[in-house]
Amino acid sequence: MARAGTNLRTNYVEANEVLRRPYQRVLIVIVLAGALLLPAASSTYFVHLLDLCLLSAIGALGLMLLTGYCGQISLGHAAFLAVGAFTTVILTVHVGAPFVVVLPAAALSGALLGFIVGLPSLRFRGVYLAISTLAMHYAIIYLATSYQAKFGSSATAGITIPDPSIGPLVLAGDHAWYYFLLVLTALITAGCVNLVRTRPGRAWMAIRDRDIAAQALGINLARYKLLAFMASSSLASLSGSLLAYYSNVVTVEKYTLDLAVIYVAMIIVGGMGSILGALLGAIFITLLPFGIDSLFGYLPRAWRFGSTLFGVQVGAVGVCIIAFLLFEPKGLAEIWRRIETYFDRWPFRYRPLETARR
Amino acid sequence: MEFAATVVILTCTYALLAAGIVILYKAGRVVNFAHGELAIVGGYVFYSSGLMAGGMSVWLAIAGALVFSVVMGVVIYMAMMRRLVGEPFYVAILVTVGLGIVLKSAILVIWRAERLTIDVGVAPAIRLAGGASLSYMDVASVALTIAFFAGLYLFFSFTRLGIQFRGTAENALLASQRGVNVNFVLSLAWVIAIMAASLSGVLFGGRAFLSTESVTIGLAGLTAALVGGLDSLRGAVAGAFIVACAQYLTVRLIDPVLSEAVPFLLLLLVMSIRPWGLFGTLEELDRV
Amino acid sequence: MTGNILEVRQLEVVYHRVATAIQGVSLDVPTGSIVALVGTNGAGKTTTLRAISGFLPSEDANITDGEITFRGRRINGRMPHELARAGIILVPERDKVFATLDIKENLEFASREGGQITLDRILSYFPRLAERQTQLAGYLSGGEKQMLAIGMALLCGPSLLLIDELSLGLAPIVIKELMERLRRVTKELGLTVLLVEQNANAALAISDFGYVMEGGRVVFSGNAMELMSHPDVREFYLGGSAQAKAKSYRDIKQYRRKRRWWG
Repeated sequence: MARAGTNLRTNYVEANEVLRRPYQRVLIVIVLAGALLLPAASSTYFVHLLDLCLLSAIGALGLMLLTGYCGQISLGHAAFLAVGAFTTVILTVHVGAPFVVVLPAAALSGALLGFIVGLPSLRFRGVYLAISTLAMHYAIIYLATSYQAKFGSSATAGITIPDPSIGPLVLAGDHAWYYFLLVLTALITAGCVNLVRTRPGRAWMAIRDRDIAAQALGINLARYKLLAFMASSSLASLSGSLLAYYSNVVTVEKYTLDLAVIYVAMIIVGGMGSILGALLGAIFITLLPFGIDSLFGYLPRAWRFGSTLFGVQVGAVGVCIIAFLLFEPKGLAEIWRRIETYFDRWPFRYRPLETARR
Repeated sequence: MEFAATVVILTCTYALLAAGIVILYKAGRVVNFAHGELAIVGGYVFYSSGLMAGGMSVWLAIAGALVFSVVMGVVIYMAMMRRLVGEPFYVAILVTVGLGIVLKSAILVIWRAERLTIDVGVAPAIRLAGGASLSYMDVASVALTIAFFAGLYLFFSFTRLGIQFRGTAENALLASQRGVNVNFVLSLAWVIAIMAASLSGVLFGGRAFLSTESVTIGLAGLTAALVGGLDSLRGAVAGAFIVACAQYLTVRLIDPVLSEAVPFLLLLLVMSIRPWGLFGTLEELDRV
Repeated sequence: MTGNILEVRQLEVVYHRVATAIQGVSLDVPTGSIVALVGTNGAGKTTTLRAISGFLPSEDANITDGEITFRGRRINGRMPHELARAGIILVPERDKVFATLDIKENLEFASREGGQITLDRILSYFPRLAERQTQLAGYLSGGEKQMLAIGMALLCGPSLLLIDELSLGLAPIVIKELMERLRRVTKELGLTVLLVEQNANAALAISDFGYVMEGGRVVFSGNAMELMSHPDVREFYLGGSAQAKAKSYRDIKQYRRKRRWWG
């Protein structure tokens, strides 16, 4: 009985389908149900970790759209997180705006700055673009630092903001946040999946693969590149704003170049060019330091203190980047695809052409 | 006078970094984002090796730094960069970013992120007009930088290996067919670049300090290389001078906090006017 | 040394693990001779040269069947610089000189200490190069670039010279001059040459033997003189016969008879 594999799409309708096969729909239901039930079976600490994962997932999705799908290298992601956080601060402290206003406002300010940061991409590619995003990063952080110096309670302690509330409900506590973030992330993921399987996504992928050819096909490079930057930065700002509310404090010291690199690590480890990859990468990289921390629990106490633990946590991210790029460039998403394909084709195996060994 | 002294030392520091970046770009089309980390770790290695026999021995320190450069260069090229031939350009860049992180973690784990100043124990300084002073180490550093660049120039222009280097940089495939061991040449490129970076790290460690924050000199060196032209060694020197001046003036006259941002803003300016850098070749441009 | 310096038997090369470029290709290259390998675009000539000189991996291709023997030793899959040291030198189709180095540096690049052939001797073969030694190779004319490429190749001390598309982009008179000089130099130095050419006329004119490739296989072989006068070869590759109507090669009885599926 002939049956097409999971990845074989033979017409446009099929190419646009998100969940083609019954098992995929069942899987999604199981994952969502599991996600909803998870807090009941875990400690508050673990729920806190999950919250962090969801928060970084939103940011990672943004970077995936820009770098994974559109191919524009950006090292300025930390700056956009900062933009979201500081917009939140300004609006809550000076204007007293409510949560439901601040969130969209943060996304909007992110989009606006994304437009500006994206302008060099119309002139530069590759390394030069990466450097120009770096320049923007420093410029934005400089502004944020000046703001914090002027308005912060002390120069480094940062600025505190109260818990957000929607009407009479206050969003506080890891569990409440978990459900809120779960729903929000699910919606954003669905939005991203739709974005990449429709025109913007295809235009981005064309630009990523060969922008000159894309232009020759009539794709307006300026419009789609800027769209990618704006989508990416608005998601990042949203994430930054949520994180600000979640941790109730905002300090500019958090938003370093290393943070931008950590987000890049997320999309590399997850697998560039895949929404699932953004989610997997975000979870992996967010949980990595905590995993190392628990591993260190098995080692002599002395090792846990000082900078050794911190050093290893930092180094692990670097090792992951290098290891994935060298050995599994398509990331965790590819590993998942291989598992899927194995079960899909079972009991057949696909054997590539072997070279003769004599 | 102090302006001149500081700028000269800073130029030497950045020029060495930029030279390494240019060599790596010409040899393998790789933009090395880990250059600052390599420089600082080289500085740490210099310091630690010097102290190995009790008391500070400059010879041990130099030997240690040389061994570090050779080992790192060979390992980085053979284990990592060589496997990335044919991949899109950003893969190599991201691998160097990862490498930078690993090196930074080495500073944290091995040296506990101690702030170190390298002091070879030669204290008396030369007093100059205008109240500035140069230590012997400063003078030695400038002399070494000049010697390094002179050596590079002689090497590339007149020795057979140097000519093979330049040919391999242009067309590794053809070089391989004419009997050149491309792996050897490219590893050598990395070794030379890391030696220059280590020297720069030692310079910086002597004048300022070594720590996990000092790695940002790598970005300044990168922008110096870009301003001068990513494929030009004389551009590296010119770019380094311009960046050093701009930084010094900004810190003195405008706002010290901006010192990290200055190289980038300068680069944006240069890129809008002359994107291929002051001395770069047009074909090396990778922009729309 | 008599006999064949190079023997290729039943060579099969696959690109990207899916596309077979050549299949069942067998060649003999007698020592000291000039052998021409002609055919149209896409026949597999360059692939054959790449297989012999070790350049397949850089194109994501592999030898999946067959043997290549050089001086009696099997050389399948060896590294390019090893083969270069052993005496197999390839002059590639494109990027055959270092454009950013000048002529003298290009030649110095290739020369070896105590090599049989000295730089001065090469310059005496190609006086045009001797005249302008400090000119950057990127600014030379097509014919001069070819001369420089051949000069560089000779300085490596080859025993087997593989030349890919010598005549590409050159005027007919330049081609003629170049081919004749090549023949003179290689015969004088006792070298063996395997010449891949689309310009079958020019190639067969200076060669001793010839092979014709089509669609990844060898379809004709023989003495260069015989090939040049063979009616089918003349019609398809040398451009000229009494009945000048273009036909598909499949129609030719001769081809059908000679089509090899075995041996």
